Amino acid sequence: MSRSGIRRSLRSPAVRTSAVVASVVLVAAGCGSSGSSGGGGGGSVKLKYSLWDDNQLPQYKKCAEAFHAKNPKITVEVTQTAWAQYWQNLTTQVVSGTAPDVFTDSVLYFPQFQKNNQILDLTPYIQRDAVDLQQYQANLADVWTRDGKRYGLPKDWGTMGVAYNKEMAQRAQLTPQALDAWTWNPVDGGDFGRAVAAMTVDENGRTGLEPGFDKNKVKTYGLAIAYEGGAVGQDSWGSFAVSNGFQYVDKNPFGTKYNYTDPKLTQTLDWFAGLIKKGYMPAYDKQSTVGADGLLQSGKAAMTIAGSWMAKTYTADGKVAFAGMPTGPTGRKTPINGLSDAVYANGKHKEEAWQWVKFLASTECQDIVAAEAVVFPAITTSSAKAEAAQLAAGRDMRVFTQPVATPGQTFVLPVTDQGDRILDIVQSAVDRVWLGQSDAKSALGQANSDVNALLKK
Amino acid sequence: MSMTLGRRKGRPVRSKTANRARSKENRAAGLFLLPAFIGFAVFYLYPTGRGIWISLTDWNLLSDPKYVGADNYVEVATDPLFWNALKVTAYFVFITLGVQVGVALLLAAIMVRLTGSVVVRALLLVPWLVPNVTIGLIWLWMLDANLGFVNHLMGKAGSDTHGFFASPDEALLSVSAVNVWAGTGYVALLLYAGMLQIPGELYESASLDGAGEIRMFFTITLPLLRPILALVMVVSVIGSFQIFDTIAVTTKGGPVDATRVAYYYIYQEAFTHFRMGYAAAMALCLVVVLGGLTYLQMRLLRASTSDLA
Amino acid sequence: MSTSIQARPSAQAASAKPAAGETGHRSPRRRFGLGRALAWLVLGVSLLITLFPFYWMLRTALTDGNHLYSDSTSLWPEHFTFANFKRVLGLASDEESRAAGGSGADLDFLLYTRNSIIYTTAIVVGQTLSCAMAGYALARLRFRGREFAFAVVVGALMVPPIFTLLPNFVMVKDLGMLNSFAGMVAPTLLMTPFTVFFLRQFFMSIPREIEEAAMLDGAGHWRIFWRVVLPMSKGPILTIALTTAVWAWKDYLWPLLVGNEPDNRVLTTGIGVFLQQSPNARPDWTGLMAASTLSVVPMLILLVVFGRRIVNGLNFTGLK
Repeated sequence: MSRSGIRRSLRSPAVRTSAVVASVVLVAAGCGSSGSSGGGGGGSVKLKYSLWDDNQLPQYKKCAEAFHAKNPKITVEVTQTAWAQYWQNLTTQVVSGTAPDVFTDSVLYFPQFQKNNQILDLTPYIQRDAVDLQQYQANLADVWTRDGKRYGLPKDWGTMGVAYNKEMAQRAQLTPQALDAWTWNPVDGGDFGRAVAAMTVDENGRTGLEPGFDKNKVKTYGLAIAYEGGAVGQDSWGSFAVSNGFQYVDKNPFGTKYNYTDPKLTQTLDWFAGLIKKGYMPAYDKQSTVGADGLLQSGKAAMTIAGSWMAKTYTADGKVAFAGMPTGPTGRKTPINGLSDAVYANGKHKEEAWQWVKFLASTECQDIVAAEAVVFPAITTSSAKAEAAQLAAGRDMRVFTQPVATPGQTFVLPVTDQGDRILDIVQSAVDRVWLGQSDAKSALGQANSDVNALLKK
Repeated sequence: MSMTLGRRKGRPVRSKTANRARSKENRAAGLFLLPAFIGFAVFYLYPTGRGIWISLTDWNLLSDPKYVGADNYVEVATDPLFWNALKVTAYFVFITLGVQVGVALLLAAIMVRLTGSVVVRALLLVPWLVPNVTIGLIWLWMLDANLGFVNHLMGKAGSDTHGFFASPDEALLSVSAVNVWAGTGYVALLLYAGMLQIPGELYESASLDGAGEIRMFFTITLPLLRPILALVMVVSVIGSFQIFDTIAVTTKGGPVDATRVAYYYIYQEAFTHFRMGYAAAMALCLVVVLGGLTYLQMRLLRASTSDLA
Repeated sequence: MSTSIQARPSAQAASAKPAAGETGHRSPRRRFGLGRALAWLVLGVSLLITLFPFYWMLRTALTDGNHLYSDSTSLWPEHFTFANFKRVLGLASDEESRAAGGSGADLDFLLYTRNSIIYTTAIVVGQTLSCAMAGYALARLRFRGREFAFAVVVGALMVPPIFTLLPNFVMVKDLGMLNSFAGMVAPTLLMTPFTVFFLRQFFMSIPREIEEAAMLDGAGHWRIFWRVVLPMSKGPILTIALTTAVWAWKDYLWPLLVGNEPDNRVLTTGIGVFLQQSPNARPDWTGLMAASTLSVVPMLILLVVFGRRIVNGLNFTGLK
């Protein structure tokens, strides 16, 4: 594998200049002279690979098998750790020098690993092996770069849509077409706001639009969102705020200043807080551990904001369909967010780890991922296959793919240093808004200055 | 405290022991103490010094520690979240202790008068045997706002839905209630054992004098139980100061810092934000607070023991 | 914690007689009255409140995950299934797990149970032995610095664990023992101040004559300790070992920090990890409750086997 890779890269004139760099890397990795694909002594190598999403475990196990079939000397052991523990676990492992050779990375944590030199700069490998960065969905690859160095190859992407209960929508006389063409604004809520009210039903059967609606005895909430949106509100307020003209940071990636006091954002948050007050959304202090998807499944809520990667879960019982994000004052917006695979900088088998990352970011593995129809792989051709597989399974994913095909409808979530501390600060402030303890402007004022003070450090 | 113990108990009786036997005994003692001493030196003594050093640095474990002097302590003193954590912890300890000891006293008194059945006591002890993580999960599920059984029951009784762990007003009380649930049986058994040591004749004669159960409880049981009660209090205060597991699986310090107790805050700073220096400084401050409390309690305890004599 | 208090529990321990026997004369025969009925009621309700959550755990564990939300309030599992237990025990395939409404995560219950047993056993055996030796020396041997050594033990009793937690983590990391059993058991393997303290108090109460007799027979301290003192102290040692076992089994924070590889993850951290699989996804309640149910079983077995010992032992282990 690695030998043919070298040959290929030498043939390509574009990367000939990097051959010097590459050979240095190869010698360092200890496999340049031996010519075997294994590392060190040329024996077999066992790589550790970790991820958090249990929904994606089977497909990556299949990838690992396929990889092993091609590279009999490298075995990949895939471990899954729940999101709740994944990062703490990983950091402990990094600290102790026992991190997995390759791990799934998120934009939230990528900067801190990068800053502490814990993940490998892949640039020389990418140039040596001539990985085509154009094969990936636009915007996905460059998030993982800093100061001209590249720390991961994109593996998948997801966008957001609105999941709704089909029967309840029908009862509120909302057609799929109407739902897909809906508008939103933070003043009166637009079509989306009306739909939320119309789908809210109290115990007497009155909808949120009817007089006499009892907001204290709500049977079905029109909307439920994930209140734990962190610093970006990916599956809650994020898309709405951006469609209202909000920008998280001065530049992305690695901005130096957040704009949490922007009225475009505070208006949006206040609008959502208003839904809680009107009884259209579950009260923050009465939220359930079952999350938005549990509420939808149990019929407690009619709509939620959900990511494309959750489509399979939501549509399992056939009651839920998806609509696109409503069009805001500056258009329809959805975050496009992806994960990457990073190589641990202090791992023993860097060359093999790179081979595995390259395989994960190749059509071969991403087609396997596509076939499972859970996420959209980063490679555009594989992504199309995933969409077809989803359709074959009865899931129309157009609401998620259309914004990607339409210019200006997607945005990239902010990547900055101190991501996890910023998350805590902003979450606390937004929680106060959800609770009605404070309006968004005053809650976020302090948070914004705290966050920006952190970035200056 | 230790001095007292040493003096009272430990005075070696100088006998006809020959010097050789003495040095042999010294050697034997060394051997006997060696494993425990290693454990103590490596995992108690050395970390204490190191903890103080860490608290004077800025360190994320990945790069080298940077000496920053008292900076961390200045930050601790001005960190509203730290003070909030202390307040929340104190509140938690106070409620938990009050309710737990109250209910446990009642249960113990009832058991002493009604039944000494091992089965009853063993059943009461079951929650104590179960990890707090499991207990936290069970109650997280039972107290769920939408699907929890408790809300279902309360709804039947005509009450509104409660958020419990999700509500800033109810979260700390809920965590507290869960810990009371988990620990009351254990405390009740301790108190029960203490009550058994009160001579039965006292009750018999009081009974002959026509005293009722409740009066006997207040005039006989409670005063004579004081030393055990004080002991149980010390143990419970130290125990509930260390509240972590339940918070970690139920509220994670939220909502809006309502349950961010000292242990959890220190844990977060150390192991999610990897600010070892700052966390160590907070831990040291907490030790000072705890030390003060323990001292106060010890005085209380000593006062009580003199009662018993 | 003065001597008078300690002396009493120790004496009781020495006799190792169940305290329950004393209760007979304690409860005077009384007429059935309103007060007594009320007292029985309070006791009954307390037992109900104590035990009901465990029933609810079992009931949830026996419910099909797909129907959990639709019948979340019935007292009986309406869609009865063993699928969750099968899943937790690794007897179901990924597809079966999902069909039963659970997650496809690796919930390697048996492995975690094994790890918990290793962790608990190592700590119980190591700590009890090492502390018994130290306690014996502190109670019985005359050596220089004995009072100081005992004062140190009592002093260490007062140090809250949070203080040594961070430096110990750093040390275990420096020793390269993170994510290994060695690192997990290290801080408590050789001593906790309480165990030393407890066993020392007990050994103080053993009559000296027995040892002296053995000494006259020419036995050394080592032999006396193993042949005379330990066999005499089976009761209290078993009690402290059981208490240590319960604490080790329940331990969460330390294993959370240093035992995160599947190979050494214990039950508490293993179950905690399963709470949230991915951000904003609902917990897999049926699976969690099945795992919780199974995790309670070993402790129940302990309670059934050693019930009397644990329950009656509490009067002196309560010092902890």
